[in-house]
Amino acid sequence: MAGNNTVRILDGNTFVVSEDTGDIEATPTEPTGLFSLDTRYLSKWVLTVDGERLNALSYDDLQYYEARFFLVPGQATHYVDAKLSVIRERVVGGSFRETVSVLNHDENAVDLEIRMDAGADFADLFQVKDEILNKKGELYAEAEPDRLRLGYRRGNFKRETIVSANQPARYDNRGVSWSIHLEPNEQWDVLIDVQTFAIGPGGRDLRIGLRAHGTERLALQHDLEEWIDRAPKVNSEHGRVAATYQRSLVDLAALRFSPLSLGGQTLPAAGLPWFMTMFGRDSILTCLQVLPFAPEMSKTTLRILGALQGTRFDDFRDEDPGRILHEMRYGETAAFEEQPHSPYYGSVDATPLFVVLLDEYERWSGDVALVKELERECRAALKWIDDYADLVGSGYIWYERRNTDTGLENQCWKDSWDSISYADGTLPPFPRASCEVQGYAYDAKMRAARLAREFWGDPAYADQLEREAAELKARFNRDWWVADGGFYALALDPEGRQCDVLSSNIGHLLWSGIVDDERAPQIAAHLVGPRLWSGWGVRTLAEGEVRYNPIGYHNGTIWPFDNSFVAWGLRRYGFAEEAATVANGILDAATYFDGRLPEAFGGYQRELTKFPVEYPTACSPQAWSTGAPLLLIRTMLGLEPHEGHLAVDPRLPVGMGRIEVLDIPGRWGRVDAFARGRLDLHNLAG
Amino acid sequence: MVDTTTRFFEDLDRRGFEPLLVKTSGTLRFDLHEGARTTHWLLEIDRGDLRVRQEDGEADTVVGTEPRLFGALVDGEENAIAALLRGDMTVVGDLRLVLQIERVFPGPPDSRGPRHAFARRAA
Repeated sequence: MAGNNTVRILDGNTFVVSEDTGDIEATPTEPTGLFSLDTRYLSKWVLTVDGERLNALSYDDLQYYEARFFLVPGQATHYVDAKLSVIRERVVGGSFRETVSVLNHDENAVDLEIRMDAGADFADLFQVKDEILNKKGELYAEAEPDRLRLGYRRGNFKRETIVSANQPARYDNRGVSWSIHLEPNEQWDVLIDVQTFAIGPGGRDLRIGLRAHGTERLALQHDLEEWIDRAPKVNSEHGRVAATYQRSLVDLAALRFSPLSLGGQTLPAAGLPWFMTMFGRDSILTCLQVLPFAPEMSKTTLRILGALQGTRFDDFRDEDPGRILHEMRYGETAAFEEQPHSPYYGSVDATPLFVVLLDEYERWSGDVALVKELERECRAALKWIDDYADLVGSGYIWYERRNTDTGLENQCWKDSWDSISYADGTLPPFPRASCEVQGYAYDAKMRAARLAREFWGDPAYADQLEREAAELKARFNRDWWVADGGFYALALDPEGRQCDVLSSNIGHLLWSGIVDDERAPQIAAHLVGPRLWSGWGVRTLAEGEVRYNPIGYHNGTIWPFDNSFVAWGLRRYGFAEEAATVANGILDAATYFDGRLPEAFGGYQRELTKFPVEYPTACSPQAWSTGAPLLLIRTMLGLEPHEGHLAVDPRLPVGMGRIEVLDIPGRWGRVDAFARGRLDLHNLAG
Repeated sequence: MVDTTTRFFEDLDRRGFEPLLVKTSGTLRFDLHEGARTTHWLLEIDRGDLRVRQEDGEADTVVGTEPRLFGALVDGEENAIAALLRGDMTVVGDLRLVLQIERVFPGPPDSRGPRHAFARRAA
């Protein structure tokens, strides 16, 4: 979406995407703006001096919530003669505040006209890529003596942007101006405040409930320092793993999101900036990745997803009783039910993964109270798997959207239209069942059995779940095994025919434990074999498949998040060297992105390109890419809660040198883990 | 004839307990405005135990809507979260209580739920 020269800052789900001058001039191809509650509150924000646009000398995005732009008037060729410089400093936190400073470097006094053009189209986040021609409501602009009010009204739906400043100014319907006089070497500053409002009848803001019930908010700086302080420290001999970890930790802080209904507590949103909202799947998988480093996120995520668990049939939202939500949105299209995200429930993996996360969280934290608190929700989730997800009656989780206009076709993580295919490249009919989701269901039942036995005092339910899990495992190994390939099919069609392509999904099956022990070596060999392994990571779809394309979104690219779970799965089945190979490849790739792994990169052979080719993505950082290095560190160090203490069983490649992780929180208090690279990976996949 | 809103609250009061609300405690007041006239419903939730009174009392959360919309919400014809985002329903106080009581509202009457392939073949 937005180009590479854009600057993004955010706080929660309020964010600003601008050009490198700080200006905002939104177009469908450059969807810049000030966004909050999934609505664009500024689509124009252009600074001029004497009617002239400014040029960027440089900018700093100092922290995720602030940025600074150094500007001069005139064209690039005139830079050296600049007699003026302009600095814009902006912070997002509650509202959007920008300080504009103008410095006169001339030996003469100057009189200047400073102007900020301001405009708002109040586009819904889902519309920013479109030409917005016929908004159904009415836009308005009202200049007052001390403020400019920009608004949008559609029935009772009302959104307003209010621009004001700490210096007397002239407001008109298109912006705000100042006439200033500067002596030589004099500086002039103005602080502009932009407030966003979501107003109901009676003039009350939708978010007032949140503010009243949230705890007193710490200053953003203090909050970030505290976040970093609380997390374990990672030191590495070569620095690169430690640097990637540090980058991930800060990005994870930026991705924290406080939903309206949570009273200020945070969970990981899916990605910055376009996905700063709650996603069942992304939030849960990110929590699993970062559990050893930021366990408190799991607690919040489980609580909020449990509180919003489905309770009824709603075909528009693809809601069923017990189902965990897919995505929540707050914009106009959700409000007027032009999109189903209020919230939308169309995913089949979030529900079993909810149970998996609760168990994994308890194993680390010992938080029995939460396991008891969420017993009802867990049972409802397990009931959904059996009663509502088995659309074919064959004992698997299937999906077929009931909202055929705006619902999602593919309700697994590979959710693009062509991600599920037969070996001949054709697409199967619906309902479809994808393999990794069956693994999650197996894992959910096994883990819930432990919870039922140890904490819910229901051994009969535990026995039942284990019996069902064993049956599922046997059935799965019978129906999904592609005998002539030695792997599991990506999916089944409603007639039970296999989508017999080789895919990264088989690594998730290892993580879930549904793979028969005698078949695991074949799966491990495929994952680091020439068709799936690129040298950087495991491809989503194997080379040689009809739909394979090294830059196919789910048909050949490499997803760092996917690989982190693949590595975890390999480790679970005892393939420590293969796991280290995957970890090493992805962490190598991370250094090419300054420690910030993208959503996906090309599946080209490592020897061919020498560097990982980034897939052009909408979204960076993305939560589960940010979480990937943390899970890879856990996997390589073999960190595993075991009978109340933390077991450490490191298997590091030689080149990784020494790694230490200090102050790992859990039921053991805080402990340190140390590891030294001893594995020679040379004989494994090249 | 009793309207759907009255039926909804009387049903809650008669049930006296809602398992979906066992983790919820607090008082909600629903102010249904029609012109100058406002009808009040006061719902007390104490860990799932419910008590309904038709009166204008103190509450942790006050929900305001038109009676017609509220009837559609408790009928499943309209969705409360969408109505809240639209501004057709206002909330003062603890929003979490609204999101919890909303779960008790039924789904749309024409929603059929999952279409099981075997059921479709049988049909």
